[in-house]
Amino acid sequence: MHKKLIGRRDFMKSTLAGVGGLFFLPSSEWKHEIKIVESRGKEKKFVYRTLGKTGLKLPVINMGVMLTDNPSLIRAALDSGILLLDTAHGYMQGRNEETIGGVIKGRHRDSFYIATKIGLPQNRTTGLYLEGATTEEFLKRLDISLKRLGLDHVDILYQHGVSRKESVMYEPILKAFEQAKKAGKIRFSGVSTHSNEPEVIDAVTDSKIHDVILTAYTFKQKHYQEVKKAIARASAEGLGIVGMKAVRGAFQQQPTTQNIVASFKWILQDPNVHTVIAGFTTFEHLETDLAIMNDLTLTDQEKLELQKEASIQGLYCQGCRQCIGQCPEKLPIPDLMRAYMYTYDYRNVAHAQDLIGLLDLPNRVCEDCSFCRVKCAIDFNIPKKIRDVARLKDVPSLT
Amino acid sequence: MKAICLILGITICLWVSGAETKGFKFPEVTGWKKSGEIQTFTPKTLYEYINGAADLYLMYEVEELKVAEYQNEKKASVIVDVYRHKTPVHAFGIYSQERPPGGNFFDIGLQGYYEKGFFNFLMGPYYVKISATDTGTQDQEVLLSFAKKAAGNLGEKGKFPPLLASFPEKRKVENSETFIAKNFLGYPFLYSAFTADYELPDKKFKLFLIERSDKKELGNMIQRYLDQTGKTGKVAVEGRHTFSDPHHGEIDLCWKGHYIWGIINLNDLALRSNYLKLFEEELKKRK
Repeated sequence: MHKKLIGRRDFMKSTLAGVGGLFFLPSSEWKHEIKIVESRGKEKKFVYRTLGKTGLKLPVINMGVMLTDNPSLIRAALDSGILLLDTAHGYMQGRNEETIGGVIKGRHRDSFYIATKIGLPQNRTTGLYLEGATTEEFLKRLDISLKRLGLDHVDILYQHGVSRKESVMYEPILKAFEQAKKAGKIRFSGVSTHSNEPEVIDAVTDSKIHDVILTAYTFKQKHYQEVKKAIARASAEGLGIVGMKAVRGAFQQQPTTQNIVASFKWILQDPNVHTVIAGFTTFEHLETDLAIMNDLTLTDQEKLELQKEASIQGLYCQGCRQCIGQCPEKLPIPDLMRAYMYTYDYRNVAHAQDLIGLLDLPNRVCEDCSFCRVKCAIDFNIPKKIRDVARLKDVPSLT
Repeated sequence: MKAICLILGITICLWVSGAETKGFKFPEVTGWKKSGEIQTFTPKTLYEYINGAADLYLMYEVEELKVAEYQNEKKASVIVDVYRHKTPVHAFGIYSQERPPGGNFFDIGLQGYYEKGFFNFLMGPYYVKISATDTGTQDQEVLLSFAKKAAGNLGEKGKFPPLLASFPEKRKVENSETFIAKNFLGYPFLYSAFTADYELPDKKFKLFLIERSDKKELGNMIQRYLDQTGKTGKVAVEGRHTFSDPHHGEIDLCWKGHYIWGIINLNDLALRSNYLKLFEEELKKRK
């Protein structure tokens, strides 16, 4: 029992890192070039970073095409100065690549970069490849993608949706990359990851095989600090880092211009992120996203917006600790909020109960004050959440 | 007792918040066994299953996804994804985004098509995607048997959106019809648009149609488009409007009653007028 409890404490300690305040970097750490370019008849400020050892100089905002079948929007993106179009073999069952193919037809091959992704059958639970995941199948899919795009090569080809280090080193796909490079069908290879990102990024870095990593990276990730660390290591080894899912969570609340802009600025604060792909579907959002390059610095208002959103998305506090000392009963509010997160976000009542047990709470919690003196920086209804989760102290141990 | 009730209460709360199911029975196919539990995804958790592709499905109001995996003795596998959307029109929308006009179509559900390794079909508010791995030369046969049984368990096959019948048939590309739920033409003020492709020996163009029960919505669309294209001050009225769109070129758009219809990518004025008229005639036939 003792051993088990220590394990949980370690778990809590490690997750605490994930709920600390959002990091905000000073702009002095950015390494980029700024150019004024003519964009659809207007002068616009563009910020470029180099995509690691590929040497590709890309604007920090590029286009993830996956959500649109509108050729005029893709055309407008390219005409506006965006250089990289990101798609995948499987998007819209291939229609996405076909639409891009129609747009780039006739354009000078040096005027744009195409990144696509190929996925092979994986076990959904383990993230490991199944028997049907062969070199031949990968290369066959690449040929289909090239045909849809009307190209003889793509600039970046990613192994799509990797979530395990074993999958990064999956021999048949490595072989396929090697053959594709030799045949001149791809310039650079990479891996895309949406889950268990730190492990995958570390594995790609250690493999010394690939050129680029496309990773989900957002302030809403519970483990963004681990992602940040892995990205820094990868970037130091010369890998190009492309960020995605910067504005994740449209399903939970309508994205506003303010939170879209702030979300992109947040990810671009990290000097190790060389570009992000934005999945805009309107001309208005294209303009909004490009305008981010006018000033990548987060305003105070945008920082507050991010703090709020991070809390709404995960129902957990951001550990700003501004509440410390405000409660006359000296309740450990950040710890109680953590217990709340374990219960409702992680759905792990046992962990929450263990934590509550360690907090030495009084018999009656948040029941005797006529009003709450604690002012939460992000407007959490603290007494309500505390009353809710403190009930667990009266429950017999679940373990 | 109080403690048990509390635990039960919390457990039920968590369970209810994560589960919104309807009675769909996954197919039983001879020689295949389900491997693992049936998984259920909601709009909030869809990312966990299809990653970034979830955004597109969310635009088409997906309400739930149920997934079952099967294996046979030879370790081949089949995955059945059943997406339930808010309405049959939304299901058609996402299906039409992925459907290849020149596909290998089958009368399964309302319509389905086969490509090596997968079979997709539409049925009422359901979009069903079945994929197979390691099924070798029996790939099509296996997928079809799963698709037929899944369709049989989903009830009524439903109908294509009736509005599609109003598109002029002349030179229409078969199975090119789509439904765009949001941001049609890249504008947030244009939505719920049906489209179809047309092909002449030297021209390809697109017709579109929007129907709203509230005429004010249509008036607002025209007004916003007028403002967008620099015709500020001009009031939206029913009739034909020609827009010089900076992104799409010249677009003719007609508003009458509960409909807006128009043409994209067609410079030939006479042909444009001809098709707009044909469209209007078809719309008149609607009750």
